[in-house]
Amino acid sequence: MEEKQVMIMGGGIAGLTAARDLAEFGVNVHLIEKSSFMGGYAIGYTCKASTECLQCGACSVEKTLKEATETPNIEFHLSTTVEAVSSENNKFSAKLKKGPFFIDPERCNNCGLCYEKSPEKGAVLRGYSKNNHPLYAITAEGIQSHRDFFASVCPEGAISVDAKATSETLGVDALIVATGFEPFDPNQKPTYRYAEHANVITGLDMERIKRTHGALVRPSDGQPPEKIAFIQCVGSRDERLGHLWCSRVCCPYALRSAQSIKTQSPEMDITIFYMDIQNIGKNFPEFYQTCKSDFRFIRSIPVDIFGEDNDRLSLRRFDETEGTTVMETFDLVVLSIGIMPNSENPAISKLLGIELDQDGFIDHNDALNQTLTSQNGIFVAGTASGPNSIPGSMAQAGHAAGEVLKYLGVTQ
Amino acid sequence: MTTAKNTREMEKIEIATDVLVIGGGYTGLKAADSIAETGYRVILADQKDAGTPGQSSLFGLQPDFQNSLDGLKDAVKANSRVEFLPEARIKTAAGVPGDFTIRLTSDGTEIEKKVGAIVVATDIVSTPLNHIYGLDLSDRVISLSDFEEKLSSADFKKKLDKDKQTVAFLAGFAQDGNPLLMKRILDSVLAVEEAGKNATAYVYINDIKVAGDNLERLYKAGRDAGAIYFKSTQPPEIKQQNDGPAILLHDPVIRSDIEAEPDYLVIEEAMTPGQVNSELADILRIDLGPMGFLQTDNVHRFPVHSNREGIYVIGSTRDIQDLSDTWTDVENAVLDIKQLLGDGTKEVPKFCAVVDREKCVTCLTCYRCCPHGAIYWDDKAVISPVACQACGICASECPQEAIQVTGYSDDELLEQIRTEISGIKNGDPKILAFCCENSALEAGRTADLFHYNLPKGLRLIRVPCAGKVDIHYVLSAFIEGADGVLVMACHPGNCKSETGTTFARWRINNAYQMLEETGIDKNRLEFVTLASNMAPDFAKIAVEMEKRIG
Ligand SMILES: Cc1cc2nc3c(=O)[nH]c(=O)nc-3n(C[C@H](O)[C@H](O)[C@H](O)COP(=O)(O)OP(=O)(O)OC[C@H]3O[C@@H](n4cnc5c(N)ncnc54)[C@H](O)[C@@H]3O)c2cc1C
Ligand code: SF4
Ligand code: SF4
Repeated sequence: MEEKQVMIMGGGIAGLTAARDLAEFGVNVHLIEKSSFMGGYAIGYTCKASTECLQCGACSVEKTLKEATETPNIEFHLSTTVEAVSSENNKFSAKLKKGPFFIDPERCNNCGLCYEKSPEKGAVLRGYSKNNHPLYAITAEGIQSHRDFFASVCPEGAISVDAKATSETLGVDALIVATGFEPFDPNQKPTYRYAEHANVITGLDMERIKRTHGALVRPSDGQPPEKIAFIQCVGSRDERLGHLWCSRVCCPYALRSAQSIKTQSPEMDITIFYMDIQNIGKNFPEFYQTCKSDFRFIRSIPVDIFGEDNDRLSLRRFDETEGTTVMETFDLVVLSIGIMPNSENPAISKLLGIELDQDGFIDHNDALNQTLTSQNGIFVAGTASGPNSIPGSMAQAGHAAGEVLKYLGVTQ
Repeated sequence: MTTAKNTREMEKIEIATDVLVIGGGYTGLKAADSIAETGYRVILADQKDAGTPGQSSLFGLQPDFQNSLDGLKDAVKANSRVEFLPEARIKTAAGVPGDFTIRLTSDGTEIEKKVGAIVVATDIVSTPLNHIYGLDLSDRVISLSDFEEKLSSADFKKKLDKDKQTVAFLAGFAQDGNPLLMKRILDSVLAVEEAGKNATAYVYINDIKVAGDNLERLYKAGRDAGAIYFKSTQPPEIKQQNDGPAILLHDPVIRSDIEAEPDYLVIEEAMTPGQVNSELADILRIDLGPMGFLQTDNVHRFPVHSNREGIYVIGSTRDIQDLSDTWTDVENAVLDIKQLLGDGTKEVPKFCAVVDREKCVTCLTCYRCCPHGAIYWDDKAVISPVACQACGICASECPQEAIQVTGYSDDELLEQIRTEISGIKNGDPKILAFCCENSALEAGRTADLFHYNLPKGLRLIRVPCAGKVDIHYVLSAFIEGADGVLVMACHPGNCKSETGTTFARWRINNAYQMLEETGIDKNRLEFVTLASNMAPDFAKIAVEMEKRIG
């Protein structure tokens, strides 16, 4: 049988899962990732276990990335975008723009010298996982401002400051769109003053702080907070913003994180401001019961946040039972931001000739089969098509891989 | 850091490729259809006649659904690769993936089948929770299912409008609920409102479970159409009078009591797996999870794996799901089955865990402790190479030391312990960390690569599962001169082999006692649980150990 080629756009958990599953059936996979690292958002998350695993799924992303990198017939295209796609006789031709790659992956041994010695923070990026190779990436701006430094820092000679973007054309038989989501930008809710106060953080910030520090600390002083608030549904279920969807992951990540924080620091005072709590895991009733005894739940979404002394924060909200406005002060406020459509979706829709749904996610053409797009031979997986969790995205990606195999006529 | 290499020679064996599907509801039919499409023969066993919609099939007001179910049923029945076994009861299931022997009765006759894989697709049962509200069902106090039935009649809807009827829904106080139940309620609410401008829906509810496709929009559509929601964490007061139900609710927003005497009071329903799940768990030797669903809450099982290779759990067997999720499950199971059964010959590792038949006394300790159901016996214990996940729990539990895992034999591990410790520079506290390769090993290697501060005298020993760590290894480490020993497992509930963490913890507790008896300071041994993404924690734990013993 002729070898089949499949292109997957997006190297998040959905793209990685589909790539691994397809490769296991002998399909050649081209995994296209626009950033310098595979794994999408979730590769930067941390474990949310309390005294036991709470099934957040973050470690599944590590595991899948590892498995994918160990699978021979997946070609990883990092820092790559798809510039044009045409199709003829059930074949797609995709024009890629690749790089520039300032670090040669063949030579780089991930010693980290360029990162540690970098004259400017942010000029060198580091991946989150040991399975990201190279583990470091130098930005184009970094190269421009510090040419001489980068030209000489690497003992392996892996850095080339003159690297240029190249192009490549792929011929593929099918395509999976796994281009993921965008976290809600909290600046769209100006009364929360995210940009102004260091200790107003998003759920994503919380993940990254915990991942790098092993604990939650206040950005303002690096000290552990004593009293924290979670505000749910930030950007989700918001009629004013036209976001008529529940993001499905924020109740789970907020409460699981809160549990893991509480396990680390039993004295922590945690309040959850919410509209409705969504189910979390299979054993939700028991989990929720524990949460209710550990945290204070207030069914009211705060209106605004004000700065106080010592970088503390006051939340103002309307109290239904009192019929008045109340203020309360916290050390740290976590905004449980939700899942928004990738802002590139309109461009992707045009590029591939596939439709978007009314919310701006990639439309799935069939109410029951959520992996089919409006184009034959193009499939969708993960949060590209709407809010989903890690396990949910993985399941959909497995399903998409199955549909691709059927479409290509690959059996057994 | 050196680690034992897991070298595996492969061997080709022949396996059975028929697939047994248990349950002939929408999910089971869909599975039979998809599996047959890939070329395997399917045996579809249902308690009743397959294709009789189980209750879950009728959930929601889905007029097209019955048609599509009928279509699917006809297609499957016409498919020559599918054999129907109606009125079926599974009696026993012996063997291992690629070679299961199933005994069952169908229509009263006993049948034996050889299959390569098993798919479980049981239905959920929907039960009204009126008793929790202290209410009796009547003409006007009715279950959600019955109300859905009524709504399918155009006359009923006309009457709702003509007689200016009000319908109250009650949900979220007797249970937490779920998005599928919520969808049914939201659909019914909208149907009432759309029956005409004189029909009104009131919804008394706690949390609105909108974490599903389009539910927030559906919720809004109902409100826009005129439905009124009373959200509260406490249920309203309900009186069941002769002339119908009366509801009294204190509304905190307008600060007064609101009384309603609806024409219908619709009561929420619990959606739970049937008794059949626990029976099947016993027969198939697979783990029963929370609430009676047939899958533990363990990320390694998602989406459709059971703890046994070759047995897959799909649809409402494993969780409350809507039809699109069910379809996703089916296709994931098909993918797994294709991988497992292939063309009927399978490459299997020649050695995973292997039993030394000379040493085995058939005590069946291994049969009982294998979390993957990979062990059976003739006159001695036999381990199926297809089913074995090489966790090594059996090897460490076997009282005769008759089981060895390739690449991780006792001799190899003891040798490695010796070499690692002797390789540590004198003066550095010698710390040996036994790391599960699924979690702590990854965290440790990340900590190293990221240049986190780690003790100089730290060495990692890779194990396939913490459940492989024998007391013997720990004691040898001390005898060989280790100053500290860490046993690092996955968090409880995250162990790929389900019980590895439990076994490891239990053995380390025993090791503490032994240390006490031999006068070794207990602080020199520590058991911890970690995930692969916890490199900073790994470093902290190792450094603290160094401080303690330094
Ligand atoms: C704060 C927060 C916490 C969360 N916590 C949890 C949790 O604990 N558990 C859980 O299950 N879920 C959680 N989620 C949800 C989880 O992040 C998603 O389910 C998951 O990341 C989805 O994976 P994905 O592959 O669909 O998308 P992404 O993670 O977005 O990956 C998409 C990838 O595609 C790339 N890409 C985008 N556009 C293009 C393009 N045009 N060409 C090429 N590549 C492209 C991106 O760079 C990215 O690498 C959380 C979400 C948030 C916001
Ligand atoms: S809590 Fe999350 S990251 Fe931690 S072990 Fe469980 S699934 Fe993995
Ligand atoms: S998951 Fe929770 S926080 Fe997120 S949008 Fe839904 S209800 Fe709001």
